Amino acid sequence: MSSTLRSRILERFSEGPMGLSFKKTRQNKKSEKNCDSRISQSALCASVLASMLAVAAPAYADGDTPSDATWTAIKPAIFGDKAIDDAAAATLDAPARAEDAALVPIDIHIARPAGGAPAVKAVTLVVDENPSPQVATFTLGEGGGKFDLSTRIRVNSYSYVRLIAETSDGKLHMTKAFVKAAGGCSAPAVKDPAEAKADLGKMRFRVFADTGRNEAQVQIHHPNYSGLQMDQVTRLYTPAWFIQTLTVSQGAKVLFSMNGGISVSEDPTFRFTYAPNGEAVTVVAKDTQGNVFKQSFPADGGS
Amino acid sequence: MRRRACLALLAAAFALPAVEVWADEAPAEPGGYRLDNYKAPTPRTLRGATVVGTPRAYDLWQAKGIVFIDVLPHPPKPADLPAGTLWRDPPHETIGGAAWLPNVGQGALAATTEDYFKRNLADLTGGDRDKPLLFFCRRDCWMSWNAGKRALGYGYRHIYWYSDGVDGWKAGALPMETVQPRP
Repeated sequence: MSSTLRSRILERFSEGPMGLSFKKTRQNKKSEKNCDSRISQSALCASVLASMLAVAAPAYADGDTPSDATWTAIKPAIFGDKAIDDAAAATLDAPARAEDAALVPIDIHIARPAGGAPAVKAVTLVVDENPSPQVATFTLGEGGGKFDLSTRIRVNSYSYVRLIAETSDGKLHMTKAFVKAAGGCSAPAVKDPAEAKADLGKMRFRVFADTGRNEAQVQIHHPNYSGLQMDQVTRLYTPAWFIQTLTVSQGAKVLFSMNGGISVSEDPTFRFTYAPNGEAVTVVAKDTQGNVFKQSFPADGGS
Repeated sequence: MRRRACLALLAAAFALPAVEVWADEAPAEPGGYRLDNYKAPTPRTLRGATVVGTPRAYDLWQAKGIVFIDVLPHPPKPADLPAGTLWRDPPHETIGGAAWLPNVGQGALAATTEDYFKRNLADLTGGDRDKPLLFFCRRDCWMSWNAGKRALGYGYRHIYWYSDGVDGWKAGALPMETVQPRP
């Protein structure tokens, strides 16, 4: 009998709740060199036939199925035993399938609280399956109200991306999106190390007056090495080196600040809404090597 | 005979042809090692080594006497992470009894990685170049191909390459084990 057929059968079916169940896997296209096998083929065959007669539940290949299992395991380390509900304090937009796992666009929308509802004071981004799941915490400037923020993050494998908003009453509210991506944390850096050093800390501040909304964008050049990327030359892992804190202020007033880790993409970029008042915008950032980068921009943008 | 009847029934049920004819998608063997883009379709062969599928790998596993080596990469927890950063390092599941030598499947190895590979191969074989070694990682991953090729280059004479690796083993519901990397 065909050895290729036997291997395809062996790999198409796997243990499931009903014994052997259907499983979406790519077919084995490699041929075997040797047909001998002492596996009980009769038993295998009989189980397969039996499972075919049963109703085949739709099953996903490993890792494709959205699951809260990892979240349940890591939540205590991030939020202790605080209750988290799903009240819609903030919303999250993320692509269902990321084009580039090292640059996954994330949009956060915080609406003006209705009536006397407590305002959101901070939001935390978590990617369950990342080696470093806590992506960043953004603390809003005083005054609450409507705030939109977009940035780019690394997603290492198919995972829930979660946004946990903390309102002024201390309560936590969560929303989530499932993102299909792989390898974001270990993707090689876009710039080579020499380029990255040369541009280190350079910033840009752009104002988008034509969108009809008061939006601006802050960009800072930094490799944000995750520590999981392999240096193509030395063949060793490039040590982690990333922006840890970043604060954007207009005049003396803080617009927002970020506390971030290795899951924030190279050249951290933040697009946000704000109420321009003509004052200069200042950005202060610190990285894990103790470097401090500070730059002020005129209200209408600059670099 | 019972087996043949059973499989014929299955084949009919799936409307599968008795002999599969695939368009040849497997790439040719490169002259040297695969240097990047490791997660991609692999060749059908590794010159100098025996390629095996899951049933044959299971035979070899049951017969014992072969060292199974998992070469799946494992980036270490960065030393520079700020204290208190939550770090997820999920347990590594592999073929039962296999030795895990992470990162030795890269196309080019740093000196320290190469020393690690050579030292562990010597330990695992007791210095016997005739001791059979079986390399694997995951399906469609060049790392086990590279590692097998490199072991051949070191003079180990009996190399097996289990190209479907953990994916094939797990799909066959065969014995798995959680392991730590070898020091």
